[in-house]
Amino acid sequence: MQHGRRRQAATFGVAAVAGAMALAACSSSSSSSSASGSSSSSSSSASSSSSSSSASGTIKAAGSTFQTNFQQTAISSFKSVSPNITVDYAPVGSGTGRSDLYSNTVLFAGSDSPVPKKEASKVPAGKTILYFPVQIGPIAIAYNLPSVKGLKLDATVLAGIFQGTIKTWDDPAIKALNSGMSLPSTSITLAVRSDSSGTTQNFSQYLVDAAGSAWKLGTSSTITWPSTARAGDGGSAVAQTVKSTPGAIGYVDFSTATASGLSAASVKNSAGDYVAPSSASATAAATHVTPKANLTFVTANEPGATSYPITYQSWDLVYAKQPTANDAALLKAYLGYLLGDGQKLLTQLNLAPLPSSIDSAAVQQLSKITS
Amino acid sequence: MMAAASNSLGQPVDLREPSGWRRSKNQIMTILMWLAFVIVLIPLAFVLVTLVAKGADAISLQFLTNSTIPPNVVPLGVGGMGAAVVGTLEITGFASLLAIPLGVLGAVYLNEYGGNGILARLISFMSSVMTGVPSIVMGLFIYIIWVLHFGYSGMAGSFALACLMLPIVIRSSYEMLRLVPDSLRQGSYALGATKARVTVTVVLPAALSGIVSGALLAVARAAGETAPLIFTILTVEQTNPNLFSGPDTSLPLQIFSNAQSAYVGANARAWGAALTLVAITFILMIVARIVTALFTRNTR
Amino acid sequence: MSTMTKADPATPAGSANPLQRRRPLGDRGFQLVALVAGLLVLIILVLITVTTAQQSTTWFTTAGFKGIFSVSFDGNTHFGAMGVLYGTVISSVIGLIVGVPVSIGIALLLTQVVPARLARPFVYVIDLLAVVPSVVWGLWGIIVLVPWLQKIYHDIASGVKGIPVLDSLFGGDAVGGASFFTAGLILAIMITPIISSLSREVIATVPDIDKEGAYALGATRWEMIRGAVWPHSQGGVVGAILVGFGRAMGETIAVALVIGDSVEVTSHLFYSGHSIAAIIALQFGEATGGEFRSALIGLGLFLFVLTIGVNLVARWFVERAARRARGA
Repeated sequence: MQHGRRRQAATFGVAAVAGAMALAACSSSSSSSSASGSSSSSSSSASSSSSSSSASGTIKAAGSTFQTNFQQTAISSFKSVSPNITVDYAPVGSGTGRSDLYSNTVLFAGSDSPVPKKEASKVPAGKTILYFPVQIGPIAIAYNLPSVKGLKLDATVLAGIFQGTIKTWDDPAIKALNSGMSLPSTSITLAVRSDSSGTTQNFSQYLVDAAGSAWKLGTSSTITWPSTARAGDGGSAVAQTVKSTPGAIGYVDFSTATASGLSAASVKNSAGDYVAPSSASATAAATHVTPKANLTFVTANEPGATSYPITYQSWDLVYAKQPTANDAALLKAYLGYLLGDGQKLLTQLNLAPLPSSIDSAAVQQLSKITS
Repeated sequence: MMAAASNSLGQPVDLREPSGWRRSKNQIMTILMWLAFVIVLIPLAFVLVTLVAKGADAISLQFLTNSTIPPNVVPLGVGGMGAAVVGTLEITGFASLLAIPLGVLGAVYLNEYGGNGILARLISFMSSVMTGVPSIVMGLFIYIIWVLHFGYSGMAGSFALACLMLPIVIRSSYEMLRLVPDSLRQGSYALGATKARVTVTVVLPAALSGIVSGALLAVARAAGETAPLIFTILTVEQTNPNLFSGPDTSLPLQIFSNAQSAYVGANARAWGAALTLVAITFILMIVARIVTALFTRNTR
Repeated sequence: MSTMTKADPATPAGSANPLQRRRPLGDRGFQLVALVAGLLVLIILVLITVTTAQQSTTWFTTAGFKGIFSVSFDGNTHFGAMGVLYGTVISSVIGLIVGVPVSIGIALLLTQVVPARLARPFVYVIDLLAVVPSVVWGLWGIIVLVPWLQKIYHDIASGVKGIPVLDSLFGGDAVGGASFFTAGLILAIMITPIISSLSREVIATVPDIDKEGAYALGATRWEMIRGAVWPHSQGGVVGAILVGFGRAMGETIAVALVIGDSVEVTSHLFYSGHSIAAIIALQFGEATGGEFRSALIGLGLFLFVLTIGVNLVARWFVERAARRARGA
């Protein structure tokens, strides 16, 4: 009975193979990394002109979910520019981002709107906030109707849909704008934001400006939507809802909408043309913007035949006076990157870069960050 | 066998044949039992087909080896899941290194030394019960006693997975050890061997194939676990070659976070990672079966 | 390690391995190591209880009994356990209702209908079901199942509108694909292998004598199952079902992906809900506050105690049935 030894050896061999997986993995891991940092072709050239900063440390940031895609991509490319600086951006929404800034838990906050009047008292006394615009992009009206392509909407109809007075897709108001198309009788499910959101703020402001008295729910970073609306935390939740619910419609930044494979409606702009959201139509809208001295501005409802009417913007908010020199240097390095080579990342994300005049003004404002 | 019987008309009746409605009931029940099996086949087939169809699109050499996990928004084709593959292999491998020897030793205690003592019965019973502890609890446990003091690391994830695997390995090894005939042991004792020697040189080798296949199944189960890792390894975007320090990532974690994203690129990567993970667990399961089939000892 | 030598009574002692007088220390050392390894199980279980209880004290003291036994859990001011407990129980119960008949049907099929030789491939298929990781079920659930069920739920909801009991169960305005019911369905798929395999073990211990006796009396196979198999195995099958129940309650990832994310107690099964395990997994990353984190750990302790309790009862049933069978 010599099977015993052979059998024993064989089963030991099998067990050894399984155990060797771990060891093999350990030794091969260091040789498997090839591309460093960002791997998309058009952005890898970004590293050339920026000088890597001598500052080192971690930047904690939080805020607008509109900035998520830009921040994630920029952070990834920034690693190859300044390997000593780590950036952490938590997409918690503009409102929470700002309150994190007030409580000093973050170095900068992403916000799609300036500090609202009712929050002015929350800003710590004696602190000045600097606004650095970083990106511009469309708010897409994303919808889930597989049979319908190229839906057209205007501000009045949007107001009716989002306050619940227009309840089905074949409503005459929608049909009037889309004469060639057959619209189903599916009921409309609204996908909206539950958290304090800059996207909500900008979208509702657009409705106040463009739809006038037809829009009854006012403007704020949180709106009391109709009770049947599906509210979610963050732009991606809205995209998720629209994606998985036939007949749904929601407002979400275009970068998120396209990356999720959603269709977006063309919206009538102030010139009377129906324009689809895109990097180009947002750029066109941005050319008409005149910022205030503190670099705040509104990009919605800009004139121009090719301008997308629901275009908006986002800032990174920092305190002018930083507690340490290292913090100031970190911020200058990263924000400088966002305003410099980082801008080249925006178009492939379906966002729009800042007009050059605004960009240079922002770069100049960097010198106001002191310690 | 059956006595000849006849009905009231004198015609022969086969008493083995049940009456009509009893037979129909029997047939209906049999059909329902088959139906149960078919019902279970449907989601299984569905998930495997979807997995292969969508996952195959994503899988490529770059996907499996590229060590940079791109941001969610980036479409498929950039970067890859190499970091997660390495993480899964390392973390599961180390967990197995911890859990398998300890589990086998525990089973040895239960079967060879514990006998019918109260401690052995308690351990045996509680290890059955422990197989039902949710894996998320193991993750919280290791978070509290390790991560809070020493930070996130792949090793912490291994600890959590090892806690999960331990009772499974104990139970399956215990069953295998019980099957080893006593005559083997007694023969060795007769030759003057000590208990330890008997166990190590006679009993364990006899049960080895069963123990190995049981262990492989435990490894397959651990490789697919997500919850314990959420609290212990955090996440990274680049391969972390060091298992013992610094956060890490693994295939189940990547699938979990990508599944929650609406982005098309993220979803595609999730399917690719899912196919990779299922392939790994599948291979482990097949190897376990082969080991059992080739080396099953006929019990006397 | 020396070569394995089978004890052969025909070979005179002494011609096998050269006997060495082992120091008792080595032998005792091995026993100690084995004992410690076995004790690890008990040690870990005790440590889990103690450490999670310690970390939850903030939750207990801040929220108090009233807070803990409330429904709402929002990570801010409300840290009640009842809403998530409801979701855990309801989705698991749905999982049982759908999964148990199927599991038992399969167990009976593989032990009574399919001949033993042919049963192996069927068993492999059931094992395949068990090998698919929870996260993959969740991925498939959220990407494929949820959108598909969305439409079906909507149709059902409009169909039962107005009908008294059915409307409160299956109707409502906020019906969605990610809901208690979908979680229950996925749970049913996931617990079927374990209930089925434990039931098979139990059913296989029914003595052949009883089965043949039933046949000899002219029973059909179904009647034999009802009369001979079931009385013997019902205890064990109940135990198997309870094991499945415990597994379903502890299931985290698949449920987290398909149950939706609103904590509420509602009779509408097609509404979005939450479960204990799911909320811990999904919210832990965002839980920075002391009470928030403590509450999540406390919920983990709660789940631990719950599943241990169910498993204790379950294993007791299964062991009792196994003991009976061995003695029979």
